[in-house]
Amino acid sequence: MAREVLVLDKINAGYGEFHVLFDVSLKVHEGEIVALVGPNGAGKTTTLRTIMGMTTLYSGKVLLNGKDVTKIPTHKRIELGITMVPEGRRIFKTLTVYENLLAGALTKKAQQRFQENLELVFNFFPKLRERRNQIAGTLSGGEAQMLAIARALMSDPDILLLDEPSLGLAPKIVIQVFDIVKKLREEADKTILLVEQHVKHSLEVADRAYVLEQGKIVLEGEAKQLLTDERLRKAYLIL
Amino acid sequence: MPGVLAKKLALTKERLYGLIGLAIVLALVPVFLGFNFYYVLLATNVMLAASLVAAWNIIGGYAGQLDLAASAYMALGAVVTGHLLASYGLTPWIGMFLGAGLAVTVAVLVGYPTFRFGIKEVWYALLTSALVVILMRIYYLIYGSFETYIPHMEPEWLYLSFRRYEVYYYLLAAMVVIIIWINLKIKSSKLGYYLAAIREDELAAEALGIDVRRYKLYALMIYAALAGIIGGIYITLTGILSYRLFDPWLGIVTAVMGIVGGLGSIEGAVLAAVILRSLEEYLRGAIGATYPGSHLLVYGLILIIVGVLKPEGLASLIRYVKNKLFYRKREEVK
Repeated sequence: MAREVLVLDKINAGYGEFHVLFDVSLKVHEGEIVALVGPNGAGKTTTLRTIMGMTTLYSGKVLLNGKDVTKIPTHKRIELGITMVPEGRRIFKTLTVYENLLAGALTKKAQQRFQENLELVFNFFPKLRERRNQIAGTLSGGEAQMLAIARALMSDPDILLLDEPSLGLAPKIVIQVFDIVKKLREEADKTILLVEQHVKHSLEVADRAYVLEQGKIVLEGEAKQLLTDERLRKAYLIL
Repeated sequence: MPGVLAKKLALTKERLYGLIGLAIVLALVPVFLGFNFYYVLLATNVMLAASLVAAWNIIGGYAGQLDLAASAYMALGAVVTGHLLASYGLTPWIGMFLGAGLAVTVAVLVGYPTFRFGIKEVWYALLTSALVVILMRIYYLIYGSFETYIPHMEPEWLYLSFRRYEVYYYLLAAMVVIIIWINLKIKSSKLGYYLAAIREDELAAEALGIDVRRYKLYALMIYAALAGIIGGIYITLTGILSYRLFDPWLGIVTAVMGIVGGLGSIEGAVLAAVILRSLEEYLRGAIGATYPGSHLLVYGLILIIVGVLKPEGLASLIRYVKNKLFYRKREEVK
């Protein structure tokens, strides 16, 4: 088995007094696409935020490339090769596309490799090259999502956390987004932890998956097997 | 990337010339006013407002924090400078920096936990507004309702104790130019870039690796220091130390002027301060005496009209005029 890039070990976390995650453990190996699925309010976003260090952690450990980052602040975790694409895109709307990409490249490593990464990102998303001087707020939903992913790629991460990348997009664009997720692994060697509500699509692109319900991991395994899991199919209406 | 960013963010020649032009215009104002005692005092007050709003632009415009405590930091600078001058004869040239030091200290004491616990938006506004009142009560507890007067002292330059207003006007006008310059410097620096990201979306900025708390705190400290120095100059002008220096209304007005100017636009902020402050004085003179308080009514109405017609603030107007003048295409970056 490949190296473990990200490990959550018995995480209990939440916001202040509000306990959301209960003993959540998960692993992401190098080069994998891992999907984290579950209903609204299950704690998927909280899990990602905990990995980034944006929640209150009560107990448990987060390991990044084997290193315990539990006590490391968010902005330092980026330097260790992890980036999150936040839910709802959250691009900087009044800045241009190019400036958004600049804002993604804050770490030393990212600044040294700025040109290479820019080339990579523009090859991935040719639309963004065309629109580099356009104000980001004028992009369409799909383009904005591309920009959000591109911005995260500019920090040159090993592992990318995608929080609901298909949220609020047209069905056609949703399929494009999942294609991009696949391409990110194949052509850019990224490891990906994907949080999604489109359970079927996610399981199709992922290698392994975890099902989160009410803050607990209730099911885990190979994505293909989960696709045929009777209980899951019923719960998420995969027809 | 250093090269990329540096080129992109370099202080443009255009802006430098603009700054020099502004300095020349400001220098000539008293001449045009014929060195009239009253008008120069008015101009001095306008410069006071403009410099305060320019300082506020760093926290309010760039960092996007609705700070209503401008008067608190200004008053801290004022009382430190004033009391050291009145009681110990310490020159305000040193006093104003000590005052700025206290303002920064208070800013850190308040700002660190505030940003640590993620207090923002209206709650930040309430908190900062309360800060003015709290500091006012503390001052009141120490010095009571007495007003302390700073006597006239010689040599004038050492104690900033002039019998005419021109020198104060020039001091504050110099502050305006310096603070605008600081604004432009920040905007074209890494700090300005981080602040823009924070203002746009704090969570996204954090997820990209920006130490949000630290840079917000930096912005707050710079703003508090500048407000403190302005306060130090201001107290040598009025010469009256009182708990009334901690004026919640002034804190709000400063933010209002910054917002009317267009958030994040230093030109707009200063222009708004100049127009609104002059207008307020004009209205007070024109109708305030006949119908007491009515000038504030009209002032408020004008604010509403501006808000409805130009929600992006005066900055959009400036941009429009600039584009018309230079026949330029739409500016690429705002």
